[in-house]
Amino acid sequence: MEGDRDRPGIDHADARDDDLVPLMIAYQAGRLDAFEALYRALADDVRRFFAASIADPSAALDLAQLTFLELHRARHTYRPPRPVRPWVFGIAVNVRRRHRREAASRARRETDAPDAMADPASPAPDVVGGVAVRRALEQLPASRRRAWILHHVHGFSFEEIGRQLGIGAGAAKLRSSRAMRGLRALLTGRDQGRDDDA
Amino acid sequence: MRDETIPTTLLDEVQHDLRPVRPLPAPSVRALLVLPIGIALITGLPLVWGLRHNIDQLPAWASWGLSGLEGLAGLLIVGAALAEAVPGRRLSGRAVALTLAAGALIPIAIMLATDWLLPATEAASVRVRFMIECFDQITVWAVPAVAVPAWLAARAWPERPAVAGAFYGLGTGVMADAGARLFCWVSSPLHMLISHGGAILAVTIAGAIAAVLIDRWRPRPATRPPASIEP
Repeated sequence: MEGDRDRPGIDHADARDDDLVPLMIAYQAGRLDAFEALYRALADDVRRFFAASIADPSAALDLAQLTFLELHRARHTYRPPRPVRPWVFGIAVNVRRRHRREAASRARRETDAPDAMADPASPAPDVVGGVAVRRALEQLPASRRRAWILHHVHGFSFEEIGRQLGIGAGAAKLRSSRAMRGLRALLTGRDQGRDDDA
Repeated sequence: MRDETIPTTLLDEVQHDLRPVRPLPAPSVRALLVLPIGIALITGLPLVWGLRHNIDQLPAWASWGLSGLEGLAGLLIVGAALAEAVPGRRLSGRAVALTLAAGALIPIAIMLATDWLLPATEAASVRVRFMIECFDQITVWAVPAVAVPAWLAARAWPERPAVAGAFYGLGTGVMADAGARLFCWVSSPLHMLISHGGAILAVTIAGAIAAVLIDRWRPRPATRPPASIEP
């Protein structure tokens, strides 16, 4: 199988599905080099798939990465010798569907929150998703920024964030909430209040 | 320019769990796991409630034979659901339409054949009660049975959960109806369409709802945060 790996074109983004099937079989058998070759062959296409349908480029990149994670988790659902690409893009479609559902759910929660961005002086949605928020985020303490992004951009629960950052769920929620307050203050020009010690 | 570097977090996750996996069996093979459920539905209902009192007046091919045929059709529809559930294998619009048509037309054809062979109508005074009883029995048996194909389909993560769920709900409902017609002696089209057909429709909807809910509850892979959001 090492010979297969060195075959010309096997790692190429335009690899034919016939070339991908043996890689997928080797990957299911537990070979890391097969996964690496598959990634090299498919990553560009997967990134393009998300870039075409997700406005935020960094979110599109993260979703492409998430697709490979899901692909890894669902690798048993591929049945050789069926074509590999439709299976991979089926998983990408599922990742996109979940991303959209979570984004819609987050938007609903934020709309329902009594004071979240409700001020008439708060930025319009196109600004929220763009440069202004990015700049404001950069001004926040790293720990708060990270908790906020994990929750509001990537949709992790506070329990998951706590596990990832090695803190409690309550502390994760507090950091995210303080980051939100800081963001609001930075974006509306109002005072951030007394929470600089967290 | 292609970026061929695999993100470290992704590579870590893959390396962390790289055990060999066995590919899922073909949908037709996985559908066989539902066969015991189908047999239980076809035989369980008449075992619990007793065979229809006029079963002796029906030839065997029209009683057990047609129920077996209907059960087989239900099993094939569940197989279609399991095929639809695999990423990248969504059925064509034509196949979806054909499957739905089969799920609707086969029970109707069997109902008409039974009514032609042995017309039997209930008294007007018990018509509604009989309808409710048959509807209840089919749904009470079929809805829990949906759990098995739902689990099989969820293992594959369908692209269109509602379609996959509607299919396995329909298939299970058809299998339950195959059992119900062995204890329900009424063969009038009105009773069959409203009560038995309504129950199959209800189980179809239950399957679709179950699949959508299962899809929503599917957990994300637990990972470290992606590199692009590192502070």
